[in-house]
Amino acid sequence: MTMLADRPAVQSTPVKSGMLDPHQLWRSLPGAVRKLDPRLMWRNPVMFIVEAGSVFTTVLAVADPSVLAWIVTVWLWLTVVFANLAEAVAEGRGKAQAATLRAAKQDTVAHLRDGREIPATELQQGDVVVVEAGQVIPGDGDVVEGIASVDESAITGESAPVIRESGGDRSAVTGGTRVLSDRIVVRITQKPGESFVDRMIALVEGANRQKTPNEIALNILLAALTIIFLLSVVTLQPLAIFSKAYQAAAPDTIAIDAHGVTGIVLVSLIVCLIPTTIGALLSAIGIAGMDRLVQRNVLAMSGRAVEAAGDVSTLLLDKTGTITLGNRQAAEFVPVDGVSAAELADAAQLSSLADETPEGRSIVVLAKNEFGLREREPGLMTGATFVPFTAQTRMSGVDLGTRQIRKGAAAAVIKWVGRSSDEVAEIVDGISASGGTPLVVAEKDRVLGVIHLKDVVKEGMRARFDEMRRMGIRTVMITGDNPRTAAAIAAEAGVDDFLAEATPEDKLALIKKEQEGGRLVAMTGDGTNDAPALAQADVGVAMNTGTSAAKEAGNMVDLDSDPTKLIEIVEIGKQLLITRGALTTFSIANDIAKYFAIIPAIFAAVYPGLDALNVMRLHSPGSAILSAVIFNALVIVALIPLALRGVRYRPSSASALLRRNLWVYGLGGVIVPFLGIKLIDLLIQFIPGI
Amino acid sequence: MAGWLFVITLVLAVAAVYRPLGDYLHRVVSGRRSNVVERGIYRLVGVDPEAEQSWGVYARSVLAFSAVSILFLYLFLRVQDKLWLSLGFDGVPTHIAWNTAVSFVTNTNWQAYSGESTMGHLAQMAGLAVQNFVSAAVGIAVAVALIRGFAARKTKTLGNFWVDLTRITLRVLLPICVLATLVFMVGGVVQNLSGGADVTTLTGATQHITGGPVASQEAIKELGTNGGGFYNTNSAHPFENPTTWTNWVQLFLILCIPFAMPRVFGRMVGQNRQGYAIVAVMSVLALASIALTVGFEVHAGGTVPQAVGAAMEGKEVRFGVPDSATFGAVTTLTSTGAVNSFLDSYTSFGGMMPMVNMMLGEVAPGGVGAGLYGLLILATITVFVAGLMVGRTPEYVGKKIGAREMKLASLYFLVTPAIVLIGTAAAFATGHNATALNAGPHGLSEVLYAFTSAGNNNGSAFAGITVNTPWWDTALGLAMLLGRFLPIILVLALAGSLARQRPVPESEGTLPTHQPLFVGLVVGVTIVLVALTFLPALALGPIAEGLS
Amino acid sequence: MRLPTWLSQHLAALRALLVLTVLLGLAYPLAFVAIGHLPGLSHKANGSMVTVGSTLIGQSFTDADGNPVPKYFQSRPSAAGDGYDPTSTAASNLGPESVVDTAGAKSLLTQVCERSLAIGRLENVDGSRPYCTADGVGAVLAVFHRDGLTGPITRVVSVNQTGTPFLATYHGVTVEPAKNDTDYVAEGGVITPIRGDAPAKPVVPPDAVTAGGSGLDPDISPAYANLQAPRIARERGLPLARVHELIEEHTDGRALGFLGEPAVNVLELNLALDAQ
Repeated sequence: MTMLADRPAVQSTPVKSGMLDPHQLWRSLPGAVRKLDPRLMWRNPVMFIVEAGSVFTTVLAVADPSVLAWIVTVWLWLTVVFANLAEAVAEGRGKAQAATLRAAKQDTVAHLRDGREIPATELQQGDVVVVEAGQVIPGDGDVVEGIASVDESAITGESAPVIRESGGDRSAVTGGTRVLSDRIVVRITQKPGESFVDRMIALVEGANRQKTPNEIALNILLAALTIIFLLSVVTLQPLAIFSKAYQAAAPDTIAIDAHGVTGIVLVSLIVCLIPTTIGALLSAIGIAGMDRLVQRNVLAMSGRAVEAAGDVSTLLLDKTGTITLGNRQAAEFVPVDGVSAAELADAAQLSSLADETPEGRSIVVLAKNEFGLREREPGLMTGATFVPFTAQTRMSGVDLGTRQIRKGAAAAVIKWVGRSSDEVAEIVDGISASGGTPLVVAEKDRVLGVIHLKDVVKEGMRARFDEMRRMGIRTVMITGDNPRTAAAIAAEAGVDDFLAEATPEDKLALIKKEQEGGRLVAMTGDGTNDAPALAQADVGVAMNTGTSAAKEAGNMVDLDSDPTKLIEIVEIGKQLLITRGALTTFSIANDIAKYFAIIPAIFAAVYPGLDALNVMRLHSPGSAILSAVIFNALVIVALIPLALRGVRYRPSSASALLRRNLWVYGLGGVIVPFLGIKLIDLLIQFIPGI
Repeated sequence: MAGWLFVITLVLAVAAVYRPLGDYLHRVVSGRRSNVVERGIYRLVGVDPEAEQSWGVYARSVLAFSAVSILFLYLFLRVQDKLWLSLGFDGVPTHIAWNTAVSFVTNTNWQAYSGESTMGHLAQMAGLAVQNFVSAAVGIAVAVALIRGFAARKTKTLGNFWVDLTRITLRVLLPICVLATLVFMVGGVVQNLSGGADVTTLTGATQHITGGPVASQEAIKELGTNGGGFYNTNSAHPFENPTTWTNWVQLFLILCIPFAMPRVFGRMVGQNRQGYAIVAVMSVLALASIALTVGFEVHAGGTVPQAVGAAMEGKEVRFGVPDSATFGAVTTLTSTGAVNSFLDSYTSFGGMMPMVNMMLGEVAPGGVGAGLYGLLILATITVFVAGLMVGRTPEYVGKKIGAREMKLASLYFLVTPAIVLIGTAAAFATGHNATALNAGPHGLSEVLYAFTSAGNNNGSAFAGITVNTPWWDTALGLAMLLGRFLPIILVLALAGSLARQRPVPESEGTLPTHQPLFVGLVVGVTIVLVALTFLPALALGPIAEGLS
Repeated sequence: MRLPTWLSQHLAALRALLVLTVLLGLAYPLAFVAIGHLPGLSHKANGSMVTVGSTLIGQSFTDADGNPVPKYFQSRPSAAGDGYDPTSTAASNLGPESVVDTAGAKSLLTQVCERSLAIGRLENVDGSRPYCTADGVGAVLAVFHRDGLTGPITRVVSVNQTGTPFLATYHGVTVEPAKNDTDYVAEGGVITPIRGDAPAKPVVPPDAVTAGGSGLDPDISPAYANLQAPRIARERGLPLARVHELIEEHTDGRALGFLGEPAVNVLELNLALDAQ
């Protein structure tokens, strides 16, 4: 899935998307034409009306051919095709991704534990299969035995292999990924044909796309507007006949005769007034919104979830990995009893050489950075016996000949030393109070000092949370730490609230409480014990590394397993809604100019005074009507890239967003068509017969 | 200059009563305690004032009351010749009785009859004027039910229609009317049961001076934004509106409740600023409309006004052009439809303004109650589009505007234009436009005006057109009926839908609906949607006439 | 026996309506009719009557043939019945572009021109107005173009005149008089009112040539009263200054200085004249 290579960094990046390739328009054309089938068009009432109008003008043009009739007819058909093109292009991008996914799915053979071999497609829930190094995992499931490194690049685009092992939160495997080393036994958890990859394919292809609640509501508004304009144009006819008959001096024109406004012009007027722009682009916007998520390696199980993301008002964020770097890091060496800092650093480094945990590594690195102590290869040190950390001793260290160095939890190390001092106790308490973790370092019978381990808040998080606050989103940090530590980190990271010593039940209770108050909650989770909370949250993003239970419970899966993604998901959700709103506004605002083009074009021939409304000074009635129709069609094509990309979104307050979008799409929607129609008129006035 | 002072003093007076009247209305509709008279009424009617109604029951109560009212009034008018104080007039012919019954029950007060030559005093005061009261109360009650929907926290009920009807009538409308009647009587409005008296004029001719219980009816005619005149010429008639200052008082009565309703909204949803925003929308639209109407009339464009030197045709000397134009604008901005000058003879654009005012949906400030619910619907539609633009499921005062809410709001928005446009087209398609008095574009305006007025329950007219024919009476009756009750059903359904929701707390991400930006947006949406809907028809009527 | 819900609901509605009708339709108005009998209010509640009519209701000061009685100030034109008929109040309802006379009815423009001319004669002043012919009808042409609305003019008709047209030629084309019962718009003429050279502010004031809203307008503008003053003075042998004084006395200024327009109550003024 090479298209996914361009993944955003953890840092805030404005939501954007790939550029629209002009070839894509061309390639999608056949699909667009196929969509002219009225049975498909019916689903989009606005464009269905345009198609019906096109058929009508075609009949009229055949019956009574004229240059205007034919050009209008052609452009009406183009309007429909352009609308379909928008949808086809949006779907086309998904299709390319689906093709890559399908490739990963082909012809896998499942080796059942009982030795039978069956095609992967016939696997049932609960089947247990064995996967050896080099084989493709035949279906989604949980590792029940063994440990293996797995290449999940087919799904995630991430080339580095990941470890999957039985038990715990890293047990889930996905069908279509490849085991690189070792052997695992997997219990299949999917139903046939409902694997992750299957769902993903369906998703990116836009198949069975359900309309989302806001989309339905918007469709209703658009249908209402369509009916209104239909009414206002159709009921105009008897009035036009009356007026034409009254003003006997008025000659018959291409726009109006004794039978009222001519069919071609009537249809043109309807098409120009009904909200074709948004009607044409609405479904493309929805598909593209999902697509933008997919490009960020997030799979939303429903469009509803994406929309809900835009509405989220409370974000629950796990501290570890989301707000802070995955682990604590050594920040300072605090010596005691006249020990020099360098001495302490040396001892601390020695004791940590074999400690491969991130905390251990960070001690080695800090000693090197601050005191220039070169890292020594544990293997090259003779006579060194490394004492690993155990849950019982709660410390680790090294024995170098007679030197015995230990580091660990204060209580454990002090117990090992046998005595302590007030000074040590004071430092330890101080570090704890500040939200840090004290590690006491001791040699034989004396305490050398304390290493201050700190949670390091990721860079830029505070700014990010400020941004969230401006968007009206409350951030709540979830941590297993005690309240004191939690408070300190919460303050440093700038979250609005925190939940300390959180159990899964606490999380669930918090979500319910927020929802009681009418707020929508988003959270991430990976463990099985997160599942109830994920299911309860309005937006539950499961990490792909997580358990199957978590992935089932959430309504989105992040293939990168990056908890910060939640913030981007919210932005994409908002952007989706904004794009719809902006283009609706633009579409309606366009009508003003079209009126000024068409009304005088039709009726100035009856009442010459109405020519005063022809503020654009369009060349002739024919050119005016045609210009409006052509503009109406072209604006759809012009806006396809915007529909696919989404309007620019920068997190800010609702008033600021509204102001900006109103200026751009409201005022722009009023002005642009005046310019566009005039420009087209300047060009087409040279067509003979117009 | 004096004309502007007239408007400014009205603005100041209406602004002065915004809070006290709004707060009082709020107390009336939110209070729990009933007084003795009310308890007596509940007992007579046989309803339990404590019983809360779901939107469906509330709507059925409104419809039942209105249906009974139409039937009762129809019969009353049909048999008025057999009743007391008929002044010798016959029973009202079927189609006029139907049209008039519907007209008064729907708060339209379209008059297909001439008061002084059709209606006896009993029919006026016990038939028509009663509906002036209760149709106004129904409008306020429905608006209050909608507000309750916005303010509710997960409930199914919207209050009790019978209680709302009784309280609004007895505690709000009647007391103000009592005061207003006295004021009008001091001003010279007649109040008697005389069948009229013949007098010999100074030059020896005979003149029949009419009488009637006019002052008591005049008060509710204005306060309830009804507009049905006791006499044919309505508030131009010196017995209905004798002085320049009674003219001012009439406009004040018309405007005070519709402009105070947003206060009730603000109070009930717990955010007075939301009320101020709504009232700001109403004020911007109203002031712009009044300024334009007065401007067009004073400018006196068009052949006849140019020949005359002022647009004085159809206007009374004591009111003059600016105050008459203000009256014309105010009575069409509200659903009053009273006139103190005849709109048919206005300049082309001056006469277009009343039509546009109605086409706006009568929301600035609209009829009592009806104006507020109309504007809340427009605000809802605005919130929807604007809400999308800020990237959230749109919500208005804490209530999400989802598919169901949009469906109801869109249908509401569709109903009136559909009635107006279809009605107008039908009149032309069937040749019934022929009863228009004027030719050409002005004749078209007369027909368009008739359906605009009926569909929007206004009741004013380009009165040149003859509408007391069976076709017109039936068609306009239907327009009034549908134009009143379809929106009411939709509004109550919307109220029910909103009431069921749990309110969403406000945050930085919520679209602020109390700021000038939003006010401007609602104004814009209202104007643009109306312009887009009616511009083609207007182009062939007043615009064609005015640009000739 | 329990009634079905819908029926009991409608019965409740009927009871409510009846209760409210008694209260609002009888008690309330009748109470005020009673209050109307109180001294101080009774004159007004009964229509501000004087022996010859009501001071609120305008009347015609014409003789049996409808000609103005010269010793009285004249009221405005009225569209109520045959003029100032309170049993048939009405306005003309003619629009601003009512300029073509038809067989059955004169256009508003012609009515205005006619009135202006007549008043001019009565008061010995210039009765001319824009868009009016010298013989007091609307100066309106039907202009026929070769191509309907455009192209060279082929024919011109003065639609409101059957006699000599007010213009001999229009853009070089001879103006024809109109034939009775001919709809020149339907024949393809474009209606073109001709402004003429009358002053923009005619001598005869606007209220004198237009009908009011009620058809019972009791007032005229001070300008119209002053226009009539010389005739009144002449007819009654009063000094002109005295007449102006009386006009002044019976002019209601704007209430509070800004409400409405100054107006002269014609009946009161004429009664005051008779009392001289």
